[in-house]
Amino acid sequence: MLGLDDCLIEVMAIPGALDAMLLDQTSGMAVAVSGSPQGVDTEGSAAALTETLRATVDGLARSCPGDTVRIDDMLVTTDQGHHLLRLMETAFEGPLVIYVRLDLERSNLALARHRLRAISSSLLT
Amino acid sequence: MAPLDTLLAGLARERSTGALLVGRAGTVFLDEGRVTYMECVQTPGVERLLTARGRSTEATLRGMQADGGCERLLAEGVLTLGELQYCVLGAVLDAAFFLLPVGGTRPKFRPGERHWLGGRWYFEVSGLLRECARRRAQLARIWPSAEVDTAPVRPAPWLTGQGVTLGRVEWEVVARADHKATPLDLARQLGRSGYSILLAVRRLAAAGLLVPREEPAPAEDPRLPKRSRQAVKAPSTGGSTGPPLGPAVTADPTDLALLLRLKKALEELA
Repeated sequence: MLGLDDCLIEVMAIPGALDAMLLDQTSGMAVAVSGSPQGVDTEGSAAALTETLRATVDGLARSCPGDTVRIDDMLVTTDQGHHLLRLMETAFEGPLVIYVRLDLERSNLALARHRLRAISSSLLT
Repeated sequence: MAPLDTLLAGLARERSTGALLVGRAGTVFLDEGRVTYMECVQTPGVERLLTARGRSTEATLRGMQADGGCERLLAEGVLTLGELQYCVLGAVLDAAFFLLPVGGTRPKFRPGERHWLGGRWYFEVSGLLRECARRRAQLARIWPSAEVDTAPVRPAPWLTGQGVTLGRVEWEVVARADHKATPLDLARQLGRSGYSILLAVRRLAAAGLLVPREEPAPAEDPRLPKRSRQAVKAPSTGGSTGPPLGPAVTADPTDLALLLRLKKALEELA
């Protein structure tokens, strides 16, 4: 059974992972952080990432009429790397979000997504 | 009398273990100077969240608290370690948000006392205080007036625009609001954190989806200038039956709400 801290260690074991964070989507708070890069304000980036997710849900709600939007994961690729967000529904508040930044060259997206799915299911069941 | 946060900072420095009873408002549990659990009468605790979500019943939880404790809760698969940590995290931060500003009671410290669900996630006192400040700032950014935090939630009967997007908690608030329940009442009923409901209510207010509060008699509010009442009446005593040309210059709460909304709109444009 995984705790929140162990879960981040597992995430960082994904090939190409540069840094990772657990976010509470409702409050916009960083729950746990692993090896955040220099010069990054954790609090600010947690708040910004959850706002990004909120905006995405709002946008999708507009573009998929007749659906209630439920995002499983979200991928943003920049010229520097991949940013992968995995949303986990919990019994309480949430969703709880795993955020991981991946190296553009050294990572395998399919593998990373697969591993995130496995980690989130072992965290919550 | 020292405010609660200085008291907690002192206990953290001394690496104390025990429970700090804040009158009837709540209790803070510490282990070697770190917070393990916090209760506030205003917000739902972990037990309430578990029962509200159908994860367990009050009787089962009481039985476990008496015999076996947290170990048994995890062993019997009511919830996983990750879920418990996340639930405690949410409940403690929520309690802190409402408990820490409480004053007026003399807190009592009982050394050695522990909470049965504590000890699975530790909070530094400084971290708790920082997060509470961040949450306050976040609320103010969404909608600057704290009036909606304590007033009954009254969704507007119609939209001012053509459509609107609601998040999950906002939907729950609108669906449950009976024009009497305050945000914290709704939090208890829905089994959600008080803070998540405050966020939802402020977002609704910012979107203009709440009925502005009924205008209280301005004279009763000592912060407002006395003459504002006369200023409102002035146009009607002038003999005209139609609405006055241009707004009267007043300091009424409704005008303040309008100004706040305008200010927010302008800030968003900038």
